[in-house]
This record gives sequence, structure tokens and C-alpha cells, in this order.
Amino acid sequence: MRSLAASYLAARTVTTPVRAQAESSLERAIKATYLWKFAPFVAWPGGAFRSPDAPLVICVLGDNALANLLQQSVASERVDSHPIHVRDLAAVSRDTDCRILFDAGSSAQSIADALAMVRGQPVLTVTDNQEYGGPKGIINFVIENNHVRFEINDAAAAVNGLTISSKLLSLAIVVTPRTESASETRSA
Amino acid sequence: MQRLPNFRTVFALFTAIILVLAGLGLSVWFERAYEVRRIHEIDAQARILAETSTAALTFNDRKAGEEYVRALAANPEIETAAIYDSKGLLFAGFSRVAEQGPPAQLTIGKAASSQAGVTVTAPVRQDNSLLGTAYIEVFPDPVSRRIARYGFLALILILAALLVAVLAAGQAELRRANLELEKRAKELALAIVRLENEIQIREKTEEALRQAQKMEAVGQLTGGVAHDFNNLLQVITGNLDILRQRTQDGQIGRLVNGALRGAERASALTQRLLAFSRRQPLEPRPLDVNKLVAGMSDMLRRTLGETIEVETVLSGGLWVAFADANQLENALLNLAVNARDAMPEGGKLTIETGNAYLDEDYAASQQEVEPGQYVSVAVSDTGTGMSKETLARVFEPFFTTKDAGRGSGLGLSQVFGFMRQSDGHVTIYSELGGGTTVRLYLPRSTGGEAGIEVVPETSTADGAANEVVLVVEDDADVRANTAMMVQELGYGVVEAPDGEAALRALERQPSVRLLFTDVGLPGGLDGRQLADKARQLRPDLPVLFTSGYARNAIVHHGRLDPGIEMIGKPFTFAALGAKLRKILDEHPQPISD
Repeated sequence: MRSLAASYLAARTVTTPVRAQAESSLERAIKATYLWKFAPFVAWPGGAFRSPDAPLVICVLGDNALANLLQQSVASERVDSHPIHVRDLAAVSRDTDCRILFDAGSSAQSIADALAMVRGQPVLTVTDNQEYGGPKGIINFVIENNHVRFEINDAAAAVNGLTISSKLLSLAIVVTPRTESASETRSA
Repeated sequence: MQRLPNFRTVFALFTAIILVLAGLGLSVWFERAYEVRRIHEIDAQARILAETSTAALTFNDRKAGEEYVRALAANPEIETAAIYDSKGLLFAGFSRVAEQGPPAQLTIGKAASSQAGVTVTAPVRQDNSLLGTAYIEVFPDPVSRRIARYGFLALILILAALLVAVLAAGQAELRRANLELEKRAKELALAIVRLENEIQIREKTEEALRQAQKMEAVGQLTGGVAHDFNNLLQVITGNLDILRQRTQDGQIGRLVNGALRGAERASALTQRLLAFSRRQPLEPRPLDVNKLVAGMSDMLRRTLGETIEVETVLSGGLWVAFADANQLENALLNLAVNARDAMPEGGKLTIETGNAYLDEDYAASQQEVEPGQYVSVAVSDTGTGMSKETLARVFEPFFTTKDAGRGSGLGLSQVFGFMRQSDGHVTIYSELGGGTTVRLYLPRSTGGEAGIEVVPETSTADGAANEVVLVVEDDADVRANTAMMVQELGYGVVEAPDGEAALRALERQPSVRLLFTDVGLPGGLDGRQLADKARQLRPDLPVLFTSGYARNAIVHHGRLDPGIEMIGKPFTFAALGAKLRKILDEHPQPISD
């Protein structure tokens, strides 16, 4: 069922550009919400946060509108006593303090470059890339039946030292499991 | 008969009720606890559902939500399971009750338990924000399961209650059986007491019977001996009588008189024996006791001597008694002699007469006493008195407290016999050192003039030769002697040894004027029968019976039948003469003879 969906999506992504132009504002808002809603279901390694109430930094690379949306929705939210900070970036460095990175790619840094940059760092990478074979983060948004869903690359999460809750994994329409024997890990 | 339940039954009943109530209470308590536990379990499941559906709710993944909710279908108790969003709208759910489905909207509230079942909700939280509500509704416990749950307990309780009831009943039964047993035991004890009483009475009666038999045996013995003695004495007395008649010699006469006196004393002794054995025929008649006692007083004073003062107290208006005068005199004489012996230093003898009435109670307490009117004669002395032991045996024949040779021991027994035969009564009252009173009760005469008929004794031979007496006696010596006496008296005599011979003689000798026969005859025809047969031949023939042995048909209750003449053995010459004369005078010869 999921592979069918995947192939359907793949078919869709072949004919559509990197980012869907017809993305509605609602869809965008949902995605923005999801960005910080993922947080409770992700476990960062020990030193990822300096203190329990150190801010959880969500970085948005290459999408100002999303950054603004995000900024508005996280105003009074906390994740596990971490306040949420939003950064609007054009590029990300290796020792960034982003804990969640929404990688839309910019003129300064491509999606793949950004992903490679933070590879091995405790960063939850999220992409919205429907292009078949294109660079995807640990979580990649997928639209299914007019619902915002996502696929999760648990192997990539393991590389970044992250543990994703099975609750989240079970919601993903596609999961690339940690064990090497399963599907390939492809990074852009 | 309804009795109030006793303590044990009430207690058992109480226990049974307590058991049932306890069972009910336990059941209710168990039920509540079960309910609470159920709620806890369902609550736990709701919370698990809530926990698992945080992601689904966060990311609005209904499919996932449905999956989680469906997982609860594995629990058959769950009727409805659902997830609601933060606005209370149904997110995902299922219901076994198809047409109902989970409520579309939910008002957030606590878990409620209703008759329709148990409803539990749990909030879906993420970091202090409410994402939604998990909702579970379970089926109400079917009654069958409740019953099954408590059926076992109820069964045990019922059994326990039954056991208690059975035990109580058993106890009641036991108690009842015990009471019954007690009652029976008491009855038994009573019966035993009654039995013991009866045994005692029977023993006393047997003792009395043995005593009476002893007396009877002794009486028979003495009677038998006396009878034989009488016959011998008859011979002796008869011959001596004739001898005295025939001799002119004074010396011989005195010797003969001496012998006769001895014989008389011997005769008196045998009389006493016969009296005791009740074989002496009495001739009771209406009797003026006062006259008799007065007549005796001189003789008493002579007999008792100067040391004894004799006083007679004769009551006025004394009833006429019915008794044998001679025997009464003898009895009083006996008592006087006893009194004298009890007063060796002298004293006073009192004879007192009076009317007396013995009532039913008194008669019942004695033996052989009829209630009624009696004439009492009391002989009292101021002598040594008798001990209780002596008193008990005082009427026994041969019992005497006197030295050997001084008393025969027959006196009081003779008195006893005489009174019994006279339908009278004797009482003795005595105390050691206090004197003795013997009281004789003679029956009151029911008619007839009082008079002491004394047949004067004559010594004249006033018979006529043509007055033939037929003498019937089986003892040859006695017959010879009697015949001789009759002849000496001047009568003609014909002898016969037995009844048959007598009848033949009677046929052959029409001149027989009187039948003089012994009562006891051999050969199947006794004196009485002979008399009857003789009278068939000669209707006017007078009969004189003689006997030393009174147990025979002519004597009923010790008294002569009316119209029968009798002379007791041994009889003196004079007594015989008088009797013969009297009878012959009363029955004169028919002129046609």
C-alpha cells in the first residue's frame, strides 16, 4: 500500500518541480506546525541541549514565509521545557545550534549541501522534497489524500545520533529503518 | 404444644441470619471492589489509548487513530472505544453496538459508572497541552456473570446455613431426647420406689402369713395332742368318777378325789391348748358382763391372795355382750393370774367394764376386726410391766417370762384364741415399771335376754332303764368308759363303734331315746352324717354330740349350730348326767311309742 503510494508520489514528483507551486497556505501552516510538533517525538543526544530550559532552535533555510509562520505559532510554546526559537537562514554551518533544520535550499546552499553539512550533527533535518531520488532529510513531507504526511529515514536519524519515537515512526507512510539491510540510504 | 424457642435454637437461627447477612454484605463489598477494579482496568486501558494516540492526534492521522482504537477490540468487554480531539469531536472510534456508535461529541468529564456500563475517559496530553480525549465504554456485567461470580459463594453460604440449621435441629432434637430421657428416668425412679414399697409390704405380709402359719401349725400340733389327751383323760376321769361313786370308803374316796383333781387340772390344760388351737367349741350367748365380773370378784380375791387389792369398776348402762361365759371367766382368771405374777410385792388389780365403739379406721389398722359396738373389759395391774420385745410375743403359745414350771405360757394365747373365736378383740398396753392393761372387746349382743345359763351339775343317777342311749364312739376304751358312765347314771345303753353299726342298732332297737355320738367317726359316716341319717329313720331323735376335736361340720365359726347339743371331752360324770337329763326332758317320749 505504501509502496504504491510512494510510486504514485514518485510519479507526481517527476512531473512537478522541487517545491509544489500549488501549496496552499493551510498546507504551509500545517507543515510549519509539524516542524515543532515533531520535537516531542525526537530524542537528541545528551549534549545537544546545554540545559533543560535551553532553547530549542528551529532553523528554516530558504523559506522566509515558512519561517514567519513558524515564528508566529511557536510564540508561547515549549517543548519539554525548552522554549522554541526560530531562525531564518540562508545557509547552515557544521557547528550550527539548530536542532531542527527545515532545508528548502537557497541560492547560497543547496538542499543536499545543507544536509551534508549537518550530517552527523544532532540535527533533525526536515525536507519537503517530492522529487524522486532527490535529497531528503530525516523527515520528508508527503501529501497523501489531501493530508500532510511524512516519510522518515530512521537510518539518517541514527547517523545524526537521533532517536525517533515509534509513535512517530508508525505515523510515517514510509520508514527507512536503521538496520542496513533495508532500503538504501540516499542522501542528496 | 408450642414452646418458646430456647436459647440454642434462637442462637442457631441468629447465626444463620448473621451468615446470610455477612454473605450479602461480602457480596456487596466484593461487587463494589470488583467495580472499582474494573474501572481501574478500563481507566488504565483508556490512558494507554490516550498515550498511544498522541502522535495520531498531533499529526491528525485518523487512520493511525483508527488502528489504535481497533486494537482495543481485542478486549471483548469493551463496547465502545474512541478518540476525541481537543474540541471534543470524534477523531477515531469503534463500537460493537453497531447502530449506536460512539458519541459524536464528548463533554469532558470523569469516569462514570452507570447501569448501562462503565464509561471511562482519559485526556490525551502532550507537554501540558490537551490534544484530545480517549474514551472507552464497557459492557455492563451480564447478570449471568454476576450470578456465576457469586453463585459459588452463595452456594457455600447456603450450605453453611444449612449446616447450622441441621446442627441446631440436631441440638434441639438432642435436647428434646434428653428431656424425654430425664422424664423417663424420673418415672423409673418413682416406679422403683413404688416397687420397693410394694416389696416391703409384701415382705411384711409374708412375715405375717408365716407367723399365722406358724401359729396354725402349732395350733394343729397342740390340737392333735390335746385331742388324744382328751380321750385318755376321758377314760381316766370316767373311771375315777365311777370309782368314787362306788366306794364308801372315805380314804379311798379322798384318794380318788385327789386323782380326779389331777385329772381335772390336766383337762383344764388340754382345754387351754384346744382353746389356743381354736378347737374348743364355744357356746356364746347374751351375757351380762357386769354380773359375771361381780360374781367372780370373790373367787378372784381368794385366788390372788391378800397382797393384791382387787377393784371392779362396773360401768352403768353396759350393753349386753355376746360371748361364752365360761371362757370369759377363764380368760379373766388367766389375766388375773398374770397380773398377780407381775406384782410379787403386791399391788392393785382393777377390772373395768364399759361400752366401746371400734371405728373403721381402727378396724382397718388391725387384723380381723370388724368395726362396730363392743363391750370392753379391762384388766389392769400395777405390776412390773412388759418390754416392747415381750409385748411383741406375748400371745405366742408357750411363750412365758415366768420361770420353768411356774407358767405354761398358754394363758394369754388362750385368751387370744378365745377372743378371736368370739369375734372380739384384744389390746395390751404395757410399759416397763408402769403396769399392764389388757382390754378385751366383746361383741355387743344383737338380741336376746341376758342370762347366764348354767347347767347345774348333778351327781344323781336319774336315768331310767327304758331311756336307752345309743353310744357311738370309735375308741374302744372311751366307748366302754362312756357306756359305763351312762349305765351308772341309770340309763340303758347300746354301743356302736361306727356310723353303720349305729344305724343298724337303731333299726334293731326302737327303744333308743337318744343318740350320743362322737363327732369324729371312721368309715365314711361322721357324727353329723350319722345324725342326719338317724333322723331320717327317727325324726324326733335327739342327738348329743361329743368331741375333743372341734374341727368338724357341726361347729361353724366355733359355735354350735342351733338345736344341736354338745358336750366337750373330757366330760365328767355329773356333766354328762345333767346333759342327758336335760335333753331327754326337752324331748319327751312320744306317747305313741
